[in-house]
Amino acid sequence: MKVVATCSLFPEEIVLNGKKIESIPSNEVDWKKWVYSSLNIEYPKFHKMDSLAKLAFLGISVLEKEIDFSTYKDEEVGLIFANKYSSYYSDNKHFINYTQKNMVSPSDFVYTLPNILTGEIAIFKKWYGDNVFFILKKFDIEFFIEQAEFMFSKSIKACLCGWIESNENSEQAYLFLIENKEGIVLKDEILEELIIDKIN
Amino acid sequence: MSELKEKLKAQIIEQLNLENLTPADIKNDMPLFGEELGLDSIDALEFIVLLEQNYGLKITNPSEGKDIFFSVDSLAAFIEKNIV
Repeated sequence: MKVVATCSLFPEEIVLNGKKIESIPSNEVDWKKWVYSSLNIEYPKFHKMDSLAKLAFLGISVLEKEIDFSTYKDEEVGLIFANKYSSYYSDNKHFINYTQKNMVSPSDFVYTLPNILTGEIAIFKKWYGDNVFFILKKFDIEFFIEQAEFMFSKSIKACLCGWIESNENSEQAYLFLIENKEGIVLKDEILEELIIDKIN
Repeated sequence: MSELKEKLKAQIIEQLNLENLTPADIKNDMPLFGEELGLDSIDALEFIVLLEQNYGLKITNPSEGKDIFFSVDSLAAFIEKNIV
C-alpha cells in the first residue's frame, strides 16, 4: 500500500504532505469557517454540518490541492474513518437543547451519529464506494490497514482514511489517502511521523 | 405584512444556517424549496420548529406543509391568518 497524500487540520494550522500550508489567525472565532473561506469553495451545506462533518469536508478539500479524485471512478473510493469520542459533542448539544432549553433542532439531531460525516463526503463527492466509521480507543494504523485491505479485495482502488475528533477540548482532523500499490510499507511513510505520534 | 416578511427572512437564515445568504437574496415569492436556496427535507422540519417556537403555530396536517412553506409570501400569510 502507498500513502498518496496526507493532511492535518488544527485550529492553529493546516498541513499538507508534511508542509504547513496555512497558519490560522489565533483570534479567529470560527477557525473552520476561516479555512472554508480560504479554500474558495462554494458548498452552502457546509454551514449546516456539525463540527465532525465540517472537519472531514475541509480535510478532503485540502487534499484536493494535491489529489485529482476524478481519476477514480465514483465507486472506486472507499472511506474509512474513526475517532474516540464518536459524535459526543453533537449528542450533548442535542441533549442540552432538548432537556434544558426545550428546543429540538432537526438539523442538530441528524448529526447525532458519527458516520453521518462519511455520508456527507459521499454526497459531496458523489462517491458510491463502501464507507465505514469506527469508534476506537486510540488511533491504530494496523486497524486502518486491515480495513483497507478488505476494501482493496473488492472493487475499491483508493481508501480515504481519517481520524476526526471534535469535542470541547480538542478539534483535529488527520486524513490520508492510500492506494493499493505494492512494494511500499505504509508505516515507513510520512504518515507515522504526521499522525501516530500526534494522536496517541 | 412586509415587516413580518423581512423578519421571517432573517429567522429563516438563522434557523437554517444559510450563512451564504442575506435577507435581500430571498424574494417574497421565490420557491423556498426550489434550486436557488437548495433546501432539503431537514430544512422542512426546521420550518415546523421555527413556526412553533417563534409564533406558537403547529402544522396539524402535514400535507399542508408544501403550500405553507412554498414561499415567504405563503409563510407570512399562514402566520397572519392563524396567529392569535
